[in-house]
Amino acid sequence: MLFRKLLRTIWHYKAQFISMILMVMLGVGVFVGFQGEWYSIERDTFAFYDATGFADYRLVSEYGYKAEDSDKISSIEGVDKISRFLSIKTNESKDNDVVALTVTTDIDVSGFMVTSGDEYDKTSKDGVWISDLYAEKNGYRQGDEITLKYGRLSITGTIKGLVKSSEYLICVPDENQMMPDYEKYGYVYISPAMLKEKLGFEFYTEIHVISDLDKKEFIDKANDALGKTNLVLTKEEVVSYGEAQGEANEGKTMASILPVIFLGIAVLIMATTMQRLTINEKTQIGTLKALGFRDAKITKHYTLFGLFIGIVGSLLGIGLGYFVAWFIFNPDGSMGTYFDLPSWAIYIPWWSYLVIACIIALMTLISYISAKNMLRGNAADSLKPYTPKAMKRLSIEDSKAWRKLKFATKWNLRDLFRHKARSFMTLFGVFGCMILLVASFLMMDSMVGFVNKFYYGSMNYESQIALKDDTTNEKATEIIDYLNCDYSSTSAVSFNDEGISMDIYSVGHDYVRFLDEDMEFVKLTDDGIYLGQRLIEENNLKTGDKITVSLYGSDKKYEFKIAGTLRTLTKGIVMTEKYAIESGVEYRIGKLYSEKSIDELQNGEYSENYSVIKSRADVIKSFDSFMSVMYTMIGALIVLSIILGIVVLYNLGTMSYFERYRELSTLKVVGFKDKKIGNLLITQNIWLTVAGIILGFPTGIWITSILTKALASEYEMKVIFGWMTFVIPVVLVFGVSLFVSWMVSKKNKKIDMVESLKVPE
Amino acid sequence: MSLIEFRNVSRVYKVGDHEQKALDGIDLNIEEGKFIVILGPSGAGKSTLLNLLGGLDSPTSGKILVEGRDIANLNGNELADYRAQTIGFVFQSYNLIPTLTVYENIALVKEIVKNPLSVKDMLNEVGLIDHIDKFPSELSGGEQQRVSIARALAKNPKILLCDEPTGALDSETGAVVLKVLLNMARNYNKTIIIVTHNQNIAKMADQIIRVKSGHIREIIDQDKPLSVEEVDW
Repeated sequence: MLFRKLLRTIWHYKAQFISMILMVMLGVGVFVGFQGEWYSIERDTFAFYDATGFADYRLVSEYGYKAEDSDKISSIEGVDKISRFLSIKTNESKDNDVVALTVTTDIDVSGFMVTSGDEYDKTSKDGVWISDLYAEKNGYRQGDEITLKYGRLSITGTIKGLVKSSEYLICVPDENQMMPDYEKYGYVYISPAMLKEKLGFEFYTEIHVISDLDKKEFIDKANDALGKTNLVLTKEEVVSYGEAQGEANEGKTMASILPVIFLGIAVLIMATTMQRLTINEKTQIGTLKALGFRDAKITKHYTLFGLFIGIVGSLLGIGLGYFVAWFIFNPDGSMGTYFDLPSWAIYIPWWSYLVIACIIALMTLISYISAKNMLRGNAADSLKPYTPKAMKRLSIEDSKAWRKLKFATKWNLRDLFRHKARSFMTLFGVFGCMILLVASFLMMDSMVGFVNKFYYGSMNYESQIALKDDTTNEKATEIIDYLNCDYSSTSAVSFNDEGISMDIYSVGHDYVRFLDEDMEFVKLTDDGIYLGQRLIEENNLKTGDKITVSLYGSDKKYEFKIAGTLRTLTKGIVMTEKYAIESGVEYRIGKLYSEKSIDELQNGEYSENYSVIKSRADVIKSFDSFMSVMYTMIGALIVLSIILGIVVLYNLGTMSYFERYRELSTLKVVGFKDKKIGNLLITQNIWLTVAGIILGFPTGIWITSILTKALASEYEMKVIFGWMTFVIPVVLVFGVSLFVSWMVSKKNKKIDMVESLKVPE
Repeated sequence: MSLIEFRNVSRVYKVGDHEQKALDGIDLNIEEGKFIVILGPSGAGKSTLLNLLGGLDSPTSGKILVEGRDIANLNGNELADYRAQTIGFVFQSYNLIPTLTVYENIALVKEIVKNPLSVKDMLNEVGLIDHIDKFPSELSGGEQQRVSIARALAKNPKILLCDEPTGALDSETGAVVLKVLLNMARNYNKTIIIVTHNQNIAKMADQIIRVKSGHIREIIDQDKPLSVEEVDW
C-alpha cells in the first residue's frame, strides 16, 4: 500500500521530482561526460600506441645510425625493442603535397595498423602503405601508384594498403601547425628493402626504443653505448604523444574544475528540494505515525524518494555523460580532425561511478534525515503542519532608510531572511550558473585572443619557407638577399635535462613578431635570450639570470643571459642572430619568412632549395580547426549550464512560490492584481540574480585564472577579456532568471483563493 | 435598490463525473448598513455564498448585483479592483502576512486603495497601537484577528465579509473580537456579513439567513438584536 502511496506522491509532486531528476541527470551527465572525454582520449590513444609500438625514446642524428649502433642500443639492459627509423618530408608529385616518407626496420616499433588492403610485407620493394585519411582526401586507392620526390630522388611505389600509425596520431608537419590538414600533409610507409633499393644504401636518422628505463638512466646508457652525447627525445617530446596526452590533461583539468562546480550546484539544490519536499509531507508523515506505523517503516518509505531520484537521475546522467563525451570526442566532430585514431570508444573512469554511488547515497541520506526530523516528538507533534521560523526584526529595521522602503521591498527583504536556505540556494544557483558561463566565455575569449594574436599578429609574412637540409648558410644568405625576407634557425638543445628548441631570428621586416608576458608585441634586443613563460616559471628564473644549455650531438655548452620572457607555443628559447653570433652559437638557417605568395616562390629563383612552403592561410586554417575543438567543449558546457540554470531557478522559484502561496493568496483576496503579485516575485528574483551576477563574475574570473594556470603546461595563455565575457553571461543569466520568474509568476492567475485560505495557519 | 442582490445564483462544482450543487438558484437582497449572519450546517453553501459575494469565486449561473453592478461577469483584474475597493475580508485563520509587522500588514492596503483610512486610527480602534511594530507571530490569536479586522476596514470598503471570525478563538476572546468588529462597522457605517456556526452571534444580527443544501431556507429580520454584552457566551 505504501508503495502505491510512493508512486502517487511522486505523481503529485511531479514537477519537483522531474526537476530533481533533471538536476541529478545534468550534474552527473556533465561530470561523467567531461571525465569520459579525457579518459577516452587516454585509453584509446594508449591502446593505439600499444598496437603500433609507439617508442618510448628516440635517438636522433642527422648523420644517421648504422646497424651496429642499433645493436649497441638493443643490447642495453632494460631495452625491450628497437628499430631504426626514418621520416623525411617528401613532395608528392601530383599536388606537391608534403608527405612524410617513413621507414621502420622493425614494424613492431613505430609501425602501423592496416585498415584496408594488404598486410605489411617487409620484403616488398614497390609497396607503399599510405595514411588512410591522406588517401581519402587525395583520392588514392589500393593499387594506385604514388610518386614522392626528395631532392633529386624520386620514389614510385604501388599502394598496397591504407593504414593508421600512432606515430602520426596528430599528423602535423611541425609543432607550429596546430591541426592536421590531410589535403596537404600525410604520410606513407615503405619497407627497409625498398628504401635500400631506391637509395642504394641504408639511411636512418633515428633509433626508436621501447624501454621501461627512466629518462636519465636510458640517456646515460645510450650515450655510453654509442660513445657520444645523443639527442634523445622522450615520447612526451613527440607531438603525437605529448600533444595527445596534453589534450587529455587539458580535458582532465577542465573536468576537475567546471564539471565539479556543475555537479556541486546540482547536488546542493537537489538536497534542498528533497528536504523541502519532505517538509511538505509532514502532515502525512504525522498521519501515518498516528495510525500506528512505526518510525522505521515511515522513514524507509520517505528514504525511498531520495533513492529513487538518485538512481533514476544517475542512470539518465550516465546516458547523458556518454552523449557529452561522444559529442566532444567523436571521429566526425572537431576532435576527429585532430586525432587519427582507429577506435573512438567512450570509456568512463571507474571513480566516476564511485562519485555517482556517493551522490545516490547522499540523496538517500538527505531523505532519511529529513523524514527523521519530521518524525521527532510524539504523533501529535508530527501531525502539526510545518511552520517556518517566526519572523524576527532585522537589524537594519532600526534605520531611517528602512521606514522609507516600499511595502514590496520590505516584504521581499524579510522573506529573504526568513527563508534563508531557499534564498541562499537561489543565490547559489545564479552564482554557480554565472561562474560556469563566465569561465566558459572567458576561456573562449582567452583562447581566441591568444591564438588570434599569435597567428594574426605574430605572423606577418605571406609564406613560410623551409629550406632543404643541404642548404648552406652562404646559399641561404643569397636567397635571403634575393627575397628580401626575414629568417630563422631552429635547433634542439638540452636545458636541465630537457630537450627544448632554440630559435635564432633575424627579423628586419617584422614578418615575425613576439609576444611578451602582457601579450604585447615586443622587439627582441641583442643583449640576451628570451625564454618561454613555461621555462621561466618551471625553473624559477627571472630576467638577468644566466642559464647554460648544451647542443645535442656535440659537447658544446653555451651560457646565456636572460633578456626577457615571451609567450610561445613551443617550449623554448629565442634570441636574435646578433646575440647568437656574439655568443658563438653555431646555427644553420632553416626557415625564411617572406611577403611573396607560394606561386611566386615556386616559380621564382632558388625554388629548388625549398623543401616546404606554407602560406599563412594554411596555418590559419589549422588554427580555425583547433579552435573548433575548443568551441565544442565550451559550447557543450554553456548549453548545459543554461539548462541547469533554468532547471535550478525554476525549481527554486516554484518552491518559493508554493511556500508563499498562502501569502500570495491573501494579497489576491485583499485586492492585489496578478501583475502586482507577479512583480513582487520577480523583484526578489532580480535581487538574487543581480547579487549572484555580482558575486559570480569575479569568482568566474578567478576560476578561469586557476584553469589557465593549470593549462599552462599546454599554452602560455593569459586571461583575456573580450566583449563576450562581459555581455553574454550577464544577458544569459538575467534572461534565464527573468524567463523563470515570468513562468512562475504566471501561476498567480491560478491561485485558488477559496481553497488556499482554508488551510489552517 | 438593495446594496446586494443575488438573482437565481447557482454554483456547481464538478468532482470527477459527479456534479455537486453548492448553491442552487438563490435569490437574496441585502440592504446597506445591515449586520447579516448566515447560519447553516457544514456543506450548506454558506461559505460559497460569501466567496461569490467577495469575488473570490464566480457563479455557474445567475447574477450578483452589488450597487447595481453584476460582479458575476467581471474579469480577473476587475474582480481584483472590486475586492480592493468594495470588500473587506476577515478570515477564521486571520491570514496575516508573517513577514510584515502589524503596522505594515494594515498599511499594505495603501498599495491598492486610493483613499485608505489612517492605519494608526485603525490600530487605536482595535486597541493594538502598542503592538504596532510586532510581527503576527508575536501576537495572540485574538490580537491577530483584531489586526485582520483593522486591515479589512482600513480599505474603507462598503461591505465587510467575515468567515467564522471567532472560529479559532475561545468564547471570551471571540466576544472581544466581535465587539471590536461591530463597533468599528457601526462607526464607519459598513454592511457586515458573517458566516458562522455560532448561534450566539446570530442573536446580535439585524438579519439572519439560514442556508441548507444550497438553498435559502429562512430569512429572519430581528428588530431588536442583542448587544455583545447581552449575549450569554
